[in-house]
This record gives sequence, C-alpha cells and structure tokens, in this order.
Amino acid sequence: MAGQSDPQLNLFSAEEVEFVAEDEMLEIVPNMRMDSLHLICGDYGPFYPQIATEVPLWLAIALKKRGKCAIRTPEWMSVEKLTQILEAERDSQGSFQILPFHYVEISKLLFDHARDDVPDMYLVRSLIEDIRDVRFHKVETSLESIDTRTSAVKIKDLSAMEVNIVRPFVVRALQAIYKHGNPELVPDQDRITNMQTQGHEHGQRRPLRRR
Amino acid sequence: MYGRKACQLVTELASGEKGQLTHFNSDLFEQVISECQQHHLELQSLIRKVQEEGLDLQTTKNEDHFGALIHHLALVRNKRCLMAYVHNRAETIRSLIWKLLGSMIPPEIQEKLSNSEEEYFKKHSARLKEYMSKLELDLTVDMVPPKDPYIQVRVLDDIGEGIVLSDDKTANFALHSIHFLKRTDAEQYISRGLMEELRG
Amino acid sequence: MASNLGGASISQTDDFETFTPTTDVEPLKRAWRNEKAAPEILPYEASLVGRIKEQIQAMEDSIEEYSRSGIDPLIVSLYQMDLDRIQFLLRSYIRSRLQKIEKYMLYILKSDELFRRLSKEEITFTDRCRHDMKKHFDESVLSKLPNNYQDVLKQSITSEEDDMVPEPPLDTFVVCKSKEYLEHIQLEDEEERASSRIEEPFEMEANVLHIIRYRPIKSLVESGRIDLL
Repeated sequence: MAGQSDPQLNLFSAEEVEFVAEDEMLEIVPNMRMDSLHLICGDYGPFYPQIATEVPLWLAIALKKRGKCAIRTPEWMSVEKLTQILEAERDSQGSFQILPFHYVEISKLLFDHARDDVPDMYLVRSLIEDIRDVRFHKVETSLESIDTRTSAVKIKDLSAMEVNIVRPFVVRALQAIYKHGNPELVPDQDRITNMQTQGHEHGQRRPLRRR
Repeated sequence: MYGRKACQLVTELASGEKGQLTHFNSDLFEQVISECQQHHLELQSLIRKVQEEGLDLQTTKNEDHFGALIHHLALVRNKRCLMAYVHNRAETIRSLIWKLLGSMIPPEIQEKLSNSEEEYFKKHSARLKEYMSKLELDLTVDMVPPKDPYIQVRVLDDIGEGIVLSDDKTANFALHSIHFLKRTDAEQYISRGLMEELRG
Repeated sequence: MASNLGGASISQTDDFETFTPTTDVEPLKRAWRNEKAAPEILPYEASLVGRIKEQIQAMEDSIEEYSRSGIDPLIVSLYQMDLDRIQFLLRSYIRSRLQKIEKYMLYILKSDELFRRLSKEEITFTDRCRHDMKKHFDESVLSKLPNNYQDVLKQSITSEEDDMVPEPPLDTFVVCKSKEYLEHIQLEDEEERASSRIEEPFEMEANVLHIIRYRPIKSLVESGRIDLL
C-alpha cells in the first residue's frame, strides 16, 4: 500500500514481545496454602507457604498482585552478578556473558509489578541499562561491517526487545544491498502494489553507517 | 503527454495518509479510461494501415509499427495505474474492515467509496464473518495481547460504601483506600477522576 | 545452550528447548511466531488448532463451573488469564494467515505448493474472496478497457505470463534461529554462485540468531528445523 510501512518490518509489537517473555519461568514463594492450578499452559502447585516453586512470569505477577506470594528475583538480577557481567562486557570485545534472551522484558515486568521483591532495585535497573548500552554498541559496530558482500548477519546478546527494535533497520539495509547487487534477481512484485519507490524512512537513528 | 493523468492518480494514492482513503476520484479515473480507448483506436488504425500496405504485421518495423507499440505500451501502463489505484484502495478497505467488523460502514468512509467499492466492502465483510462463524472464532477481538483483568487502584474521592462489583464482591471505596478489582469495574471511576490506577 | 545461573535454570534459548513440551501452548506459540514472520503462508497446523480449540472449550466450561461453585473470583481470574492468553495466540495465528491470503490470493490460487497449505475453510474463503475481488476489478476497471486488455492476471493478451499478480516477497530478510547446527545452506541461487559472490555454503550455529534472506531457508522453516522470530 502506498505510504504504508512494509508489514515485514513491523512484525511484532512491543506488547507482543512482552507477551512472549511472560512465559519465562521463575520462582515464587507462596505465603499461603493454595490448590494446584490446572491451566492449559501447564499444571502448577499445589502451593505451600514458604516452599519455593516455579511458575510462568505472568502467573507469578498475578499471584503476587493477589497477595498470594512473593517473587524470588532471578539470580542474574543481583547487583553482584550484573556488575560482573557489565565489567566483563566492557572488557571483552566479543560477548560471552550470558543473560536470558528476555532479560530486558523480565526485568521491566518485575520493576513494574514487583519492585519490593527486587533488592536494590534502582541499582539493578541502572546496571541493566548500562549492560544494554554496552551490548547495543557492540552490535552497532558489527552492523557497520555490513557491506555489499554481506548476505547474512549474526546477532548475539540482544534481548528479544532489542532484536525487535533493530530488525527493521537491518532488514532494510540488507534488502537494499541485495537489491543493488542483483537487480535482475529481485522479482518485481512492486509493479502493481507500489507504483513508486520506497520513500526514505523517517529520521530514526540507524545503527548502520554507509561507508 | 501520455500517462500524466494516470500518474496523477497514483500520486494521489501515495500522498494520502497511511490507512486513510481519499474520495474515489471518478473524474480522473474516467479520463484515464477514455485515454485507454483513444490509445486503442490509434493502435488499431496503425495496425490496419500496416496491413493495408500489404506488410507482414509480425516482422514490419516501420514507424507505424513503433507508433502502435507506443500506444500499446501507454495503454498497458494506464491499465497498471488504474489497477494499482483500485488494488491499493481495496487493501485499505480490507484493513478498515478488520477494524470495523460487525459495525456498519461509517458514513464518512462510505462517501469516499465508489459504488463498486461499497459492494466490495460489504461482500468482503460477509466473507470474513462467514469464515469466523465456520471456525467459531471471533477474530476481531484480542487484537493485542491480554492483560490481567484485575488492577490495583487508589480511591481519590469518597465514592461510598457497599458497592457491589461484577464478581459479586462488595467494596467500601473510602478516600485513599487501595483496592484490587476488575478493570471493567474500575473504568467508570477512573474516567471520572475518582480513582487512579497504581503500578508497582 | 542452557546456562544454570543459581537456582532457576534460565537459558539463552527459548524455554521450550529446555523442558519437554507437554502442553500445546508452546507449539502454538511457535506456529504463531513463524506465521507472523514468514513472508508466505505456511502449512496449516490442523491438528494443533483442533486440539487447542477443544482445550479452550473445556476451559471455558470449567471457568463457568468454578464461578458458579463459589470459588474465589481472584483464583478464577487466573484461569481466565490463561485462557485469554491462548485465545490471543490462536486468533492472532489465524488472523495472520487470513491477512496473507487477502494479500496474495491470486498468487496462492496459482501455486500448488501454497494452495496445499490452506485449510478447507481457508480454501473456501480464498475462492470466494477471489471471486469478489475479480468482480470488483471487472466493474471498476477491466470491463471498461478495450478487448485484449481485460484480463485480471495479464496486462494484455500479448503477455507471456501472468504479470499482474502480487507475489509474497521471498527475498525479504528474516530473523531466525536453528535448533541444531546446520551446514551447507545455499544462500545464493545458481546464477549468483556463478558470479562468485560467496564461495562456500553458509553454516548456521545452533541457537544463535541470524538475519538471512527467507528464500534459501524456506524449506527448513517449513520442516521445522529453523524458527523465525
């Protein structure tokens, strides 16, 4: 559709990425006795006071809101662990510090709905932001090396949310490279649905700089 | 200049706001159509000329041949533009249908559609409804991921006691009290500024 | 690759790789993601959809029963949330397919491969939609054009092939991941290889995200060896 952004580029909304993250498992500590929950997505419980058990994140938050439990912050979300990770990220060129794929979404949900269960919340939050920054810059650097011979890109250490954000930029760049390299090979499906060339995208920050 | 009007049509499409329809430009549309008729007439007469001169249609490459070719190409280009116009509008119509399914066409949209488009709107809506009822699945809801139906609120103004909620619980909405209730119950108070939603 | 950080085993990979899927939610989530991310319509997951619908129905009945039998509404709402989540996935999955059909119906009807991927109801839908659309084009444009130019698929009768059919953009780039190490992926077509862009076939490490062109990995996505994100 003329003027409309390519649906291939705006695939998943932020809410949808968060939705997927909400299925990640984490530990809760119930504060009362509760019967098992036989959900479509699995069976959880029975729940005993002070006995930790694993449930999906969305359920953990819902139970907490209903006053049934406290959430045990995942071990990677401690000041100590995150500081280690941040330092290692800053020192190393590559990235081998492992955080869950959904670390950004998980931490955001816990900050929003269970902040009293996160020790040193402000510090933890700022450490995570710093880690994101360092990693994002590493990704930017590797994206800059995309050139006319690039036909694939590897992404490491981005959270799901960041993949979602970076996707349109990288896809467009790779698409442009592919098209320019192979004008005959690109099927001209644009003939009918798009009588004019794609306009230049809005001035968002592009992690890609052309040489 | 050949193709200018068709170009105008397409430009109109491109300059419109995303997802919005402009008035179906029947004037311009008809003009492009009659241009096509013109081209066809010219094309035919040039071909006849070649035939009358006793030349072989397939192999003759004189100015009449090329003249005919130009008319043919102009015609085809016009056709593509016309089709693109209708096609892209149809896409927008379909996206509107997804948003409006179940309701009637709002008048402000109806006036922008051609007769044929209005027919298409109704027909396609019916197709979708047909499909949904076969699957017994309403596809017009759940457009965004679901959230907890319950929210936490703080009462900003003395609302009263003994208020019965949709889950059959009773609540006393005293000033500054905090409650956990269904969003649907709270909405009427929130929208009137009597309650606020709490986060964290 | 799973990393055990303290008590919870949170892995770098998708959760369903670390514990065996015993519910249909994970396969549905996967089908939903792939369908949303793929440029062309994927094979219909008929039995999965069938089972999910049954489970939805059963859960709706249960919830009604729980409400009636006086179980704490706060607990019932948990079941409701679980139900809402799976309904969202199912609806979004089906919607995504329908929207692709709407967009590429002419092409799908022409392609045996894609046509075979439709459910029975989708076939009916596609057929009827095409009928509506053709009628619309005929009335708006085609019947007003000179003979020889009235075809909806071809620009004119001199066209050698159907040159007015929008095709799904298989050359678009997608984010994807393989569960296992994959070697010998040909990223280029015959002609490209001849003009020597890349010499060796591409390889994909397991569980690492890649952004590649869809066309070369098409069959791997269809066979479930590569997932789209």
